[in-house]
Amino acid sequence: MDFDLSPEEQKFSDEVEQWLVEHHDPVVMDHHRENFSQLSDTPERRAFMKKLADKGWLGMSWPKEYGGQEIEGVYEFILNEALSKHAAPQIGKGVGIIGKTLIRHGSDKLKQEFLPKILTADVEFAVGYSEPQAGSDAANMQLKAEKVEGGWKLNGQKMWTTSAHFADWYWVGARTDPDKKKHDGLSLFLIPMDHPGLEVQSLPTIGKDTTNQVFFEDVFVPDDYLVGERGRGFHMISEALDLERFTMFTLSPITNRTDLLVDWVKQAKRDGKPLKDDPQTRKTIANIATDTAVAKALSTRFICAAMKGGKPPTIQSSQYKLFTTTLSQRVCDEALDISSAAGTIREGQELAPLLGRFEGAYRATMNETVGGGASEIQKNIIARRHLGLPKNF
Amino acid sequence: MDLEFSEEQEAIRDMTRALLEEHSSVEIVRQMEDDPKGYPDALWKQMAESGLVGALVPESYGGGGLTLLDAALIYEEIGRAMAPVPHFVSGVISAGLLLEAGSEAQKDEWLPKIASGDAILTPAWLEPERGYGEEGVQATATADGGEVVLSGTKLHVNYAGAADRLIVLARGDAGVDLFLVDPSSSGVTLTHYLSQSAEPHYKVELDGVRVPADARIGGAGTGWASYGTVLHQGIILLAAQAIGGAARCLEETVDYANTRVQFDKPLGAFQALAHYMADASTRIDGGRVLVHEAAWNAAQGRSIARFAPMAKLFCCTAYQETTRACAQIWGGVAFTIEYDTQMFFRRAKELQLSWWDVPYLEELVAKDVLDG
Repeated sequence: MDFDLSPEEQKFSDEVEQWLVEHHDPVVMDHHRENFSQLSDTPERRAFMKKLADKGWLGMSWPKEYGGQEIEGVYEFILNEALSKHAAPQIGKGVGIIGKTLIRHGSDKLKQEFLPKILTADVEFAVGYSEPQAGSDAANMQLKAEKVEGGWKLNGQKMWTTSAHFADWYWVGARTDPDKKKHDGLSLFLIPMDHPGLEVQSLPTIGKDTTNQVFFEDVFVPDDYLVGERGRGFHMISEALDLERFTMFTLSPITNRTDLLVDWVKQAKRDGKPLKDDPQTRKTIANIATDTAVAKALSTRFICAAMKGGKPPTIQSSQYKLFTTTLSQRVCDEALDISSAAGTIREGQELAPLLGRFEGAYRATMNETVGGGASEIQKNIIARRHLGLPKNF
Repeated sequence: MDLEFSEEQEAIRDMTRALLEEHSSVEIVRQMEDDPKGYPDALWKQMAESGLVGALVPESYGGGGLTLLDAALIYEEIGRAMAPVPHFVSGVISAGLLLEAGSEAQKDEWLPKIASGDAILTPAWLEPERGYGEEGVQATATADGGEVVLSGTKLHVNYAGAADRLIVLARGDAGVDLFLVDPSSSGVTLTHYLSQSAEPHYKVELDGVRVPADARIGGAGTGWASYGTVLHQGIILLAAQAIGGAARCLEETVDYANTRVQFDKPLGAFQALAHYMADASTRIDGGRVLVHEAAWNAAQGRSIARFAPMAKLFCCTAYQETTRACAQIWGGVAFTIEYDTQMFFRRAKELQLSWWDVPYLEELVAKDVLDG
């Protein structure tokens, strides 16, 4: 048993940390953007990602023949935790699910077209799985892909495509085989985001940034841009989540918020008295600090299971996501309670404690227990796969 | 990072589980409930012979010399089996106090006997209408010639009826001191009380009890610091015990939820119930890693000022909440004596209330987080 990083891992972690401190840039690293800070959605942030690419930190776990270093996934975990700690953009969909799926299932043409660009941070992707009728029931995608001469014609709608308004390429699931079983009738496509017939409509959120819905009207996709085998789309999506076991929902934003709250409480005063001496505040802080330690323990558990290889750590990641996202919201909630009336002031104004960090985070974290598999879905996974309870829906 | 145990550690776990399955079956645990002595000789003898009683006592005193991390495995099994034994009071707290502050003579006299199970020691700490803090210790220790005179009332003294020595916390001129007291001494009165967990609690009245000056463990006024050091180690093990109890209670409930049918479906097929169990498992699995992290830090010689109270706070609450949720799944039968759920239910609450309760632990964490 060992709760420390290995000396090599620690060395890498220190190197990343030092590099991030040296490259601190408030335009790129903005904690007020909360979970949206992981996106590489502005020219400055894309330039930052290119610097990461120059360091060789993109695709570290990829096979060498595709430009990777074949090192253990734990290094990508360490990198992403450091990036999210600094509110910098994270290595994301390209290096992760898209790159890894192309490496396993993509044609030579698609590999040659996309893999080098991913490694140099010259391409940003949007991922289109969710639809109006395919939320938690992800396999229920209805976006229609009809076979036509030389390719496919796509019609329908996607929901919650976070990156659609800035991405270059769209990674999309569509129903190519409506007569087959729900899980076997889907295929994956790559489409340029500026393709005629694609209409991106912004859906502003209370989390300040925007997500999007995307409408497809007779969008033609050549045969070459169907990824892997027709009808294997959902299986590739599931597999990618398993391949991408190291760069899940990061813990650093939550530990950051807990630390920030603690530091604020330590120096804040109310009615002329130190806030940290208030018994109820002390009780709250004790419990948040304790649960943050448990969240970290669940993260360690999940990463250790991932490092063992073999079976994907589905149960561990579900428990981690369930506990951590619930805690994340609670930290914000408690921080506002501690702020009292001042907690009502909208983010960005100096009247608000910490410039309204927690007012903003309270709104921004609302979706954490919904997106990426709602808490109830995680509980179903834990109930069935971990506890061996029967199917319950 | 690596959360695997060594083969030796796995062997300790397997051996403990097998031993407790045989000698601490539910029938045996039930027989011991409300018993004034509180533990079966056969179980205690088996645990002593297999090295579990003296696990934390150094080999030079006849013990196993195990680390707190090894002991956490043993305590998870003790929790699973609800083993009725005075191990915590004797093999952890009393042995810990002697190791932390005892004289060579005291260690030589008592540690081998604690390790072999031949002697049982138990701390006499809490007092009526007093709390868990240092100011809670108001029993008096007054020097009189070459002797010390102890007076006061102690509560919740576990297994005192079987104890060879009490370790009495009393206030001397320099502060809190620890004294080895023979419970058969003149002026000591023991009264057995029934507790929620059905583990024996005693009221110990000390009325001018005279002990020799060398009965004090450690220097004058150092008792509370020693007690705090040892209790920080001890509560990590109680957190492990809580995880063990919660895990078994949940396992038995999952089995029941898979077989009991209502509305033509097993109970586990109802999301409302399945989600209680998923939540409980998440807390148990997370709490277990926190316990291991705390114990590992202790075994590495690192500070446990924050991890130890966090572990007990979280794990005892997880145990208490798990048993509450499990009772909801068992339904009416959970309320009956016949079913075992109530045994976990009562023990979970007592463990949460004992050896530093929720408010005290919260304040320990708050102090470390906010006042450092």
